Amino acid sequence: MTGHRPPGLRWSDLGHAAFSGPLRELAHACDEAFRGMAARWSADAEDHAAVVAAADLAPIGYLRSFPHLATFATALDPEGDNLSAFAADPSDARTGAVRLTGLAATTGVLTPAACYHVYIQHRGEEFTGPRYITTQNTCFRRESHYQPLRRQHSFRMREIVCLGTREEVTAFLDENRRLTTRLLTALGLPDDWVAATDPFFDPAHHPGYLAQKLQPTKHEARYGDLAVASVNLHEDHFGSAYHMRRDGRAVSSGCIAFGIERWLFALVDRWGTEHTGWPDPRDALAEVLA
Amino acid sequence: MPSDPDELHSWVLRKARDLPPEGLTDDLPLLAGRHLTSLHIPELILLLERLRRRPIDVEQLCAGDFRDLATIRARFLHAEPGELA
Repeated sequence: MTGHRPPGLRWSDLGHAAFSGPLRELAHACDEAFRGMAARWSADAEDHAAVVAAADLAPIGYLRSFPHLATFATALDPEGDNLSAFAADPSDARTGAVRLTGLAATTGVLTPAACYHVYIQHRGEEFTGPRYITTQNTCFRRESHYQPLRRQHSFRMREIVCLGTREEVTAFLDENRRLTTRLLTALGLPDDWVAATDPFFDPAHHPGYLAQKLQPTKHEARYGDLAVASVNLHEDHFGSAYHMRRDGRAVSSGCIAFGIERWLFALVDRWGTEHTGWPDPRDALAEVLA
Repeated sequence: MPSDPDELHSWVLRKARDLPPEGLTDDLPLLAGRHLTSLHIPELILLLERLRRRPIDVEQLCAGDFRDLATIRARFLHAEPGELA
């Protein structure tokens, strides 16, 4: 974006964005287009909480793999005079930093990726055919710096997930990649896909990072240097961790993820801050599916 | 040659799962076929470093470097030092 923020964007330097007016409508239109893609798969919609139990992330080792990204749902310890001590001087007026006193046991993590809830929701299930599920959530990732619509602490993510055989999952990912490419083109955006890796902690020693370099399973659609969507083949990583089975084997899974704010960035950067010049993603998807 | 390809073959044979009826061949896709998984990779790197007596810079690893036994040997055990990843 060439230095101009679109009307309707309220930005917090803490890394959070709020929308109103036409920009909010564009965000909803993007999500409707992605849901239209999910409808192609007759995907079941699920709504999940903003917080995921740390214990539920343990089977996939999320906190070992991405401790630098995690944001925790914490609360003060109500015991003794802890609350009184906190209330007497709760925050630094200059920096805005809260002066936490004793914390209660922390058991919750603010949602790091929308699709994690899906695997947890379907833990232990036995499948007789492919399952397609879509969900949207506000996700949280701690970063060293934030930029509006590009890199945020909290952001909206729409995902479409397939749980099935490896062949079903790869067909699902291939088709969604094809549809996304055509959607980008219909919106006048570039359709550059690149192999990518997840931002693992201590990547040189992380099996997941090494595997992604040696056998790319994540591909991102980029607007410049910005990933706006990713297709991810998880193999049986989640199926094994959460005991989801099909014909006696752990299911494979894959997802396509769309970062809503980043689509707003790309569209506003491409078409300008004046909303009358913005294309409608729903019309673009209809064109793609026609 | 400071390496032992048979030790590599033996290691993969011990670790690989769901091998096809024809067994572990030089062109069997190890990662794409899910015979080896991500959890095997750090140990495989350590094995290769021991066999070739030189470290592997993991940042230089590329897609396909561990595709199959033949590729692993060519990339990490038979190449000259300057050619290695």
